[in-house]
Amino acid sequence: MKNIVAGQVTTIKSKKDYYRIRKETVLVARNTHPDLMIAINKIKAMVVEIDNKLCHAAIIAREFNKPILMGVDGATKKFKTGDRVLIDFNNKTIKKLK
Amino acid sequence: MMELLKYTYLLDVKGIRKNIELLWSRYQKILDNKKSSWEDLNEARAILYFIGYLYPERIALHSLASRIKHIEPRISLDRFLRAIDRSDRAILGKYKNNDNFNKLKEFYLAVKDIKNRVKNNAYLDEERFNRFYSKLKPKDYF
Repeated sequence: MKNIVAGQVTTIKSKKDYYRIRKETVLVARNTHPDLMIAINKIKAMVVEIDNKLCHAAIIAREFNKPILMGVDGATKKFKTGDRVLIDFNNKTIKKLK
Repeated sequence: MMELLKYTYLLDVKGIRKNIELLWSRYQKILDNKKSSWEDLNEARAILYFIGYLYPERIALHSLASRIKHIEPRISLDRFLRAIDRSDRAILGKYKNNDNFNKLKEFYLAVKDIKNRVKNNAYLDEERFNRFYSKLKPKDYF
């Protein structure tokens, strides 16, 4: 699994947002919803606000071998759909690219 | 809930599964009954909170983290969870005859089964619960 991922963000505010995913994306959400599965093949990485090894997002990330950054407070407010970000999974950091 | 805790302490996966299903059945019964009261809905809320959050994300996770330390050869919790979720043949093969590992694996699968349960296109039928709960919520509730 890659330690550094760059990509364009899709911020999930409601389950309808999963249906708007058309291309590879970095998913940013508070937590995940079952509808995530319709877009799972387009998810490059996941960034979620909650932080728990047994939360849905963590389980799905393991099952589908997706890198995940958990415990990013306010991620859905800080990152908007269309933002480009760089995630370093070793250092557990995410930053917006200009 | 006390029974579920008891079987978790005992790591009796059969008892754990049975008690999770009893809670799920009760929760579904409340949501299925159009005559369920505000008090019933709060019982459903307690069950939902317990099986959807408290039990898997706190109690079961803590239990897994404590017990994984006793598995030989040593394995981290992250590696254990990943091995099961990814059906990692190398790791699962290595522990194939390890009873404690296999018991923990069955426990994790039971927890994951309830945590990931989807009904009516929502985890743990949450949307149906939320609609019903909002409908019965008293205006002066605080």
